[in-house]
Amino acid sequence: MNPLIDVQHINLSIPTGHVLQKRKTILHDISFQVKQGTSTAYLGTNGAGKTSTFRILCGLMKPDSGQLVFDGKVMPHGLPPKRFGFMPEQPYFYKNLTPQELLTGLSRLSGMDNKQINKRIQYWAEKLHFSKVLKQRLSTCSKGQVQRVGLAQALIHQPDFILLDEPLSGLDPIGRACVRDVIHDEIKRGATLLFSSHILDDAEAICDQVIILKAGQTVFSGDIQSLLSSDDTWMIKALWDKQPADIHQHGEIKQMIDGNYYIQASSIHSRDAIIQNILNTEGATLISVEAEKKTLEHAFVDLLQMDKGEETYASHR
Amino acid sequence: MQAIAEIAKLTFSDAIRNKIFYGVFAFFILLFITAAALASVTMGRTELMILDLGLGSISILGNLMAIVITIQALQQERESRTLYVLVTRLEQRWKYIIGKFIGLAAVLALQIILMCALLGLCIALFGEVYWQSYIQACFATILEIWLVIGIALLFAQSSSLFLAILLTLAIDIAGRFTFTIRQLGEQSDNPILQSLTQAMYYILPNLEAVNLRNQAGYIAQYDWSQLAQILGYSISEIILLLCVCSLIFQRKNLA
Repeated sequence: MNPLIDVQHINLSIPTGHVLQKRKTILHDISFQVKQGTSTAYLGTNGAGKTSTFRILCGLMKPDSGQLVFDGKVMPHGLPPKRFGFMPEQPYFYKNLTPQELLTGLSRLSGMDNKQINKRIQYWAEKLHFSKVLKQRLSTCSKGQVQRVGLAQALIHQPDFILLDEPLSGLDPIGRACVRDVIHDEIKRGATLLFSSHILDDAEAICDQVIILKAGQTVFSGDIQSLLSSDDTWMIKALWDKQPADIHQHGEIKQMIDGNYYIQASSIHSRDAIIQNILNTEGATLISVEAEKKTLEHAFVDLLQMDKGEETYASHR
Repeated sequence: MQAIAEIAKLTFSDAIRNKIFYGVFAFFILLFITAAALASVTMGRTELMILDLGLGSISILGNLMAIVITIQALQQERESRTLYVLVTRLEQRWKYIIGKFIGLAAVLALQIILMCALLGLCIALFGEVYWQSYIQACFATILEIWLVIGIALLFAQSSSLFLAILLTLAIDIAGRFTFTIRQLGEQSDNPILQSLTQAMYYILPNLEAVNLRNQAGYIAQYDWSQLAQILGYSISEIILLLCVCSLIFQRKNLA
């Protein structure tokens, strides 16, 4: 399948000082492809360069070098306006306008005709559950409602390509489920999606492709299954009076509130060594051994190899 | 054209509901009542005194409004990320600047018209003035405010709200003394100072050139050629300012 978007060797630096104007490189030779009809999660820690990449795609920022190819054509000024929808991170728009007025204006800017506009606004207001506030000023809407209006404006003109910067932040679980459903529907319609998120469970549920950034560099780009299927881990549950010798060398041990010990093994070799150790120790009982499938969060943390991440990884188990 | 009209419409709808707009209007009414009360106990033609005070207040409030509303609108649009969803829908970025100018110009023109109408009503209660020259002066005030919006749009692209307001205010004030600045340079023997003041004279927008308030109500009407000159100057200056704004905005990284 041909890529709809092909980002080639993009570098970006921004001025950091007011007087001396030192420059800091925030994107180093970023390259990735987004295939037509796929849903791609663009992940990275804070400051990794996700929003900057999106701004380059939208034509809001110009890269120092590199190019963007959309549907086989080089786009020096960003994606073609009529063919993509963009939702920025935590938008709050014109406070004095109503969602109806905002969406009408933005739809007209996207070249939609008046007959379609009202019908589409009603459709999205119902689908994203903001019908009640459609004629209420945006200043009186909740953060979640504004977020959903933001999503509606990105989708209202039925774009081929949808670019969403943190679409799930600020939403309650019901709102997140609603947005997930909408995204699934858009993929079914044939749209291509690229989105960033810090809520990795949701990202895992929505995406089939993943791009992971670390400090402005791509560290992974590809199919989510290839990322998750590698290196499954095992959780061994045991009970003992005296800890088996050398067991700590093969995995991390934690005693839980039920009094049992949980040992995490990250390879078959470690798993077997731990089991052997428990069985050979008098007074130690092996309770269970379970294979744990990697989640996107585990894979993400493993890939970035952060100290802080490792804590999250352990606590998640 | 539709894109410009839509941005102008969104800008107008948002700005017309801005609380500052009503605050300034309320302040003007209060100021006007005070002036009328003072004028009624002073010697001379009360209606002319009210006219002078009123037109002066309209100009000052209009200038301040133009600076604050323009800069605030652009800065808030950037902070709220509305700018991003607007610009990403445009084929050319300059349409945003033109649309923004038209929207803000319409809001402020409406405000000036309302204040001038209210002032006219009150003047009529105290006596008669030459209405044609009054209307011409009101029209010139609108042109002056539009020029100030152009200047504010230029500086609103700076990342600092305070700096943008300060620079616009500085140009607004300096723009009222361009003749004086040039005369000062001519009186000097220093050729560098002469060139500098000469350059300032040509670069700075001449806001005093569009001021018809001094004789409004006192003379029957201003000469049509003078009005045409003011209109021509204002329009060409606004076009120049918008071109510079568009050029800067076109190249700007919207981070």
